[in-house]
Amino acid sequence: MTPVVVPDRTPKKKSKGPKIKPSPAARRRSLTGWAFLLPAAVLIGIMMFWPMFQALILSFKTGRGSALDFADPLWFNYERMLSDEIFKMTVGTTLLYLAIQVPLMLVTALVLANILNNPRLKFKGFWRTAIFLPAAISLVSYSLVFRTIFATDGLVNDWLLALHLIDGPVNWLGNTDTARMVIILGLLWRWTGYNMIFYLAGLQNIDPTTLEAAKMDGAGPIRTFFSVTVPQLKPMILLTVIMSTNGTLQLFDESFNLTRGGPANTTMTMSHYLYEVSFVNNPNFGYGAALSYVILVMVAILAAIQMKVGDKRD
Amino acid sequence: MKKLRTGMALAATATFALSLAACSSGGSTDDASGGASGDGEAMGNSLTVWAWDPAFNIYALQEAEKVYQADHPDFTLDIQEVTWEDLQTKLTTLAQSQEFGELPDIFLMQNNAFQKNVINYPDLFTDITDSGVAFDEFPEGVTAYSTVDGMNYGVPFDAGTAINAMRTDILEEAGLTLDDFTDITWDEYIALGEQVLEKTGKPMLSGIAGEPDTILMMLQSAGQSLFDDQGNPTITDNAALAASIDLYSEMVEKGIYLEVNSWDEYIASIVNGNVASTINGVWISGSIQTAEDQSGLWGVTDLPAVDGIDGATHYSANGGSSWAVSSNADVALAEDFLSATFAGSTELYDTILPGAGAVANWLPAGDSEVYSEPQEFFGGQAIYADVLSFAAGVPANNTGAYYYEARDAVGAAITQIMGGADPATALGEAQSTVEFAMN
Repeated sequence: MTPVVVPDRTPKKKSKGPKIKPSPAARRRSLTGWAFLLPAAVLIGIMMFWPMFQALILSFKTGRGSALDFADPLWFNYERMLSDEIFKMTVGTTLLYLAIQVPLMLVTALVLANILNNPRLKFKGFWRTAIFLPAAISLVSYSLVFRTIFATDGLVNDWLLALHLIDGPVNWLGNTDTARMVIILGLLWRWTGYNMIFYLAGLQNIDPTTLEAAKMDGAGPIRTFFSVTVPQLKPMILLTVIMSTNGTLQLFDESFNLTRGGPANTTMTMSHYLYEVSFVNNPNFGYGAALSYVILVMVAILAAIQMKVGDKRD
Repeated sequence: MKKLRTGMALAATATFALSLAACSSGGSTDDASGGASGDGEAMGNSLTVWAWDPAFNIYALQEAEKVYQADHPDFTLDIQEVTWEDLQTKLTTLAQSQEFGELPDIFLMQNNAFQKNVINYPDLFTDITDSGVAFDEFPEGVTAYSTVDGMNYGVPFDAGTAINAMRTDILEEAGLTLDDFTDITWDEYIALGEQVLEKTGKPMLSGIAGEPDTILMMLQSAGQSLFDDQGNPTITDNAALAASIDLYSEMVEKGIYLEVNSWDEYIASIVNGNVASTINGVWISGSIQTAEDQSGLWGVTDLPAVDGIDGATHYSANGGSSWAVSSNADVALAEDFLSATFAGSTELYDTILPGAGAVANWLPAGDSEVYSEPQEFFGGQAIYADVLSFAAGVPANNTGAYYYEARDAVGAAITQIMGGADPATALGEAQSTVEFAMN
């Protein structure tokens, strides 16, 4: 992740003496490195960090529409959140998705990757494609398809009725628990293959001799998996955990398209609420920006915890 | 060293060129999609309009274009289909980014959203009070939607007058007629509905779960709103609202009211004959008439009145929209177009009424004979004359800027009540949600 920069000082000096001036050649190399970095850095600065900074300023403002003024006190929007029952509910809902969906998805992905990595498996290409394909489908279209499948007169109800598993059609999207379940199911379908690809890539880098050695030592497949494969996949697992956590906390499309946040806002995610506050209701962009900063802080804290827990390198 | 400096200069230039290119390309795509007529055109003969329903308001625009072309042969209308949700998002985005150059000349706006948009983003609109549009030729209750601080910002288009459209053949099966449902109360309606359900197995009504349209129509018919005259939410201590919710839950529990999850399912329940009737704004007649096999099987009557509420009527409204002239418009042409068509052409309304069920708000159009013509689809009933008589009795509704917040909050409360929550608690929560939003 960190950009490769030509070291500006070739000799490693630990002594506290006066700074040794780098040689002209080293300085030139360093400057060349910075010159190559500059385009991307400036672009990211203009396109990402400047808007983020503006959003921070915006989060200190109140007012409707385009008439915005600095709030009094400045943290008014953040204070307001504490008494916002709908926002609290969306935080709970989002964390629920996170707690159920991410572990379930990553374990499934890991198992699938391991199965697909088996050299004796036939039609490997087909299976890989089939499992990865959902990740290539637009978020909106799959949400709408799921919405149709789980409609009261949809495919799922038709099948369950035909199999005599239920007496009457289930209103999947009309009840809080089933609607949340449908969203989690959708997320699993859409993202498991995507994470599996990361694990497959990670598995390619595992030295087969370590697996053979485990076999020689009499370890069964399960023991090999947990004691040899998983530890070597750790960096990849950490990466996918952080990415999935980040993605789930910012979940929008499924909530917006699949359930429209209903019934009674109980499936609405934080990002969906932020959109409602800014675009659907009386536009309150100051409050919306404050909400987005809270999401950012949550993502940062969770990522920091995961890196601390997951990274056991010394 | 020289090489290095050139390299750095190149890199820096490339950066800025790239970022500029990014900006300008972003701008040009917007141009293409917006397609607005810029200020550059001094004397234009074309207008860009945003509207959302090809079978209804876009069709009306096409007819208006023909009417206006009779006197202005060079005139063209560039009609762009933008769904209402997208239209609202676009307006908010453009206003927030001050990109008024992307606005069309004219856009259609839901009456219920008009106040909110004018109050929040006055920069989007042109004040058309002195445009020559005869606003006194519209009912006051309808121009009120688009009037802020005494200034007019919109020309009313379609009326949202509520109708009770019923399948006469299904009623007949249950031994009933349209007359049995005329000028009754909701209690009587529920009793008759049980009879229909028993005899035919069909519920009376359908509607989207969690969307309070039916309840809000009941509320308005009783002369009440979700806000008082000062604009304060009145969700708690609102006898009419409580009575409407009671009636609604009773109907759902008894199986008279079928709750569905989406607009498509709602329309399907009507045109597939799964329900015996529907209550909605008169614009619903456009969708009803797509079921050509049901021609002659429909009839229209007034709404049941809410029991036990003073001032309860048989008339209500839902929806309706108005034309707004944007701040980026060829104002003279836009005003002239609107006053010559939607606010001045009986010919236009005579065409779009039977064609799309667009019932005019423009009073002179009501004198037209087209309104008293029998409608074959509705069993020869002159439904549009009836609708006009309903329209006169619709009580005014206070929408205000926070209408959608209140609507959503009441919708959530109803979902909770249907799930077994205590009505008083749920409505109290809804009230505080709206108060919170207004804070």
